[in-house]
Amino acid sequence: MAKPKSKLKNALNRQLGKDPIRDKLKKISRRQPKKRESIGDEKKEVEEWEDAEEEDEDDEEVPELVDTSKNTSKTSAAAEEIQDKDEEEEEDEEDEEEEEEDDEDDEDDEGDEDEDEDDIALSDIDDDDLEVPDLLPHQKLTINNHSALTQVLERIALPLSSLPFVEHQSVTTDAPVEIKDVDDDLNRELTFYKQALDAVNIARKKLTKEGVPFSRPTDYFAEMLKDDEHMGLIKQKLLDEAANKKAAAEARRQRDLKKFGKQVQFAKLEERNKAKKDTLEKIQVLKRKRQGADTEFTNESDMFDVALEDAVASSGRKDKRDRDPSRASRAKRQKKDQKYGHGGKKRFSKSGDAESTADLSGFSAKRNKSSFAAGKKKRPGKSKRASAR
Amino acid sequence: MASVYKSVSKTGTKAPKDEEGTKKNKQRVLVLTSRGVTYRHRHLLNDLVAMLPHGRKDAKLDTKSKLYHLNEIADLYNCNNVLFFEARKRQDLYMWMSKAPNGPCIKLHVQNLHTMEELHFTGNALKGSRPILSFDATFDRTPAMKLIKEVLLHVFGVPKGARKSKPFIDHVLSFTIADGKIWFRNYQVSEVEAPKKTDDTDAADKPKSKKSSEQTELSLVEIGPRFVMTPIIILEGSFGGPVIYENKEFVSPNAVRSEIRKKKAQRYNSRTEEKQRLETKRGELGLEPGRPKGELDESVLFA
Repeated sequence: MAKPKSKLKNALNRQLGKDPIRDKLKKISRRQPKKRESIGDEKKEVEEWEDAEEEDEDDEEVPELVDTSKNTSKTSAAAEEIQDKDEEEEEDEEDEEEEEEDDEDDEDDEGDEDEDEDDIALSDIDDDDLEVPDLLPHQKLTINNHSALTQVLERIALPLSSLPFVEHQSVTTDAPVEIKDVDDDLNRELTFYKQALDAVNIARKKLTKEGVPFSRPTDYFAEMLKDDEHMGLIKQKLLDEAANKKAAAEARRQRDLKKFGKQVQFAKLEERNKAKKDTLEKIQVLKRKRQGADTEFTNESDMFDVALEDAVASSGRKDKRDRDPSRASRAKRQKKDQKYGHGGKKRFSKSGDAESTADLSGFSAKRNKSSFAAGKKKRPGKSKRASAR
Repeated sequence: MASVYKSVSKTGTKAPKDEEGTKKNKQRVLVLTSRGVTYRHRHLLNDLVAMLPHGRKDAKLDTKSKLYHLNEIADLYNCNNVLFFEARKRQDLYMWMSKAPNGPCIKLHVQNLHTMEELHFTGNALKGSRPILSFDATFDRTPAMKLIKEVLLHVFGVPKGARKSKPFIDHVLSFTIADGKIWFRNYQVSEVEAPKKTDDTDAADKPKSKKSSEQTELSLVEIGPRFVMTPIIILEGSFGGPVIYENKEFVSPNAVRSEIRKKKAQRYNSRTEEKQRLETKRGELGLEPGRPKGELDESVLFA
């Protein structure tokens, strides 16, 4: 059911001796009486004009059928007429759909024909039809004139098969390039890259066969597509990017170190405390041992321990002081200077600062946890004290 | 350098192709824009001109309606191709490619364009070296695309012996069809010495130049620019004549923009509609604010 749709086809027909416009006019005049019979027939007939070009016999029959039905309905009420109209429109729609289907079927056969038959030209559609939006498959009239395209191509085409490859240097891929998702940048660019790389490999083979220089010798200098200034900018940008990356990595490392450094510092302090405790314990043990050797009171030695020690120490100190009085006085002087003056800031010397606040050397979690009374040494009972005395 | 060029070009002419002399690929392209292009369009044009040694750049064309004047200009400069960029509304770029005296003429919409300058690719090539053109096989599927491929070949392929062309080949232009659009890419061909396993055995006695060119490994570095073209129509003549192809799928950027604007306007419309509906509903229920209080009003009854 091909219809004349384009001016091109009209022109073609005219050349062949047909005049579609005159034909149309003739047919209109022939069907004028029928038309008066019923308004609804108009559309049918328009379709028939379209079909008229190739199927003259058919269109004589179809309207007859419709006409008889019309004649019977002529007597019915106005409301029924309207209904009929609606029905007709529906029929039209169906017809259109059928046509489209037919066209699609034909397409394979008529691939070489002038036009794609998919679409209905705007000029071929009646005004009444325009009221029904469903009847317009495409608002735009599509043109794809295959014969004209191929003819034009033949006119301008280079004879690629006869020309040596150097003349055109064009490579077409063997299989069409498939890109599944156009929005997937990485894969898309990769397929482009592959296509280009394949082309270059093929081209190089062909060019070397034809004895054409391909690669540029290293000592050939000439003006480049991008000048040195531009390349400098690109290089600078690359360098900057690298530097930025490095700086970011360094900053991250520093941050991590800082986080970790606090733990290190704490561990160090802990260690120092532990060492201090250890040495003190050792000293204590040593003292006990010595005391155990000297005196018989091993159990209650603690009581005397301190006094004895003091006595020993004081005697020792006294000895020292006696031996070197100037040194002792100097130490005193030093202490006093530290306390009262001679250099340094005097105010707030005893008040706490950040350092002292952060200093946790005097703090022991164990002692803090233990109850207030438990921390103190218990006083021995009265009898023990008496016996000790 | 001149000696190098001479020696190379001599070896080129030694090939026994000259005697045939049947048909030569002779192309000259007139490159110009319309008025009203933005700086990016201009830069793209400059990039393309730098890549086309057989191109002739001309001043901007004043008119947008009488494009057939381009044929005369092309004739003036002995050009048989015209590459004309038409800017609309200072944002949309259309590319016309035409075979000058008698067509055909192809109109394309250029999108997603990025010039060489803004892309910061590291690739570079000789100015005026002849590119290898790589086409997707999808071009051969429909006659329209076949025609477009041919015209692209004429416009972007630098003919042999073009005036300012260089004798070596160091870049490749690739045209791919994806999503109904033609994607343009420009790569540098960089050669890297292949591992020297085979070199030691038989490189000694054979001519070095041939050997080395075969044994290098090729890789590509992108140069730029990038753009995507959507074919719109093909005219039989050059800037005139009947339309022989029209792309049904092409949606004009104006339509896209108006659609966006409409959608925006729709929001306001729906809001006001909703407001009105609420008002009428309230009126029907007798809840409008200025209503006089009756005896049976709740506030009166339960005062």
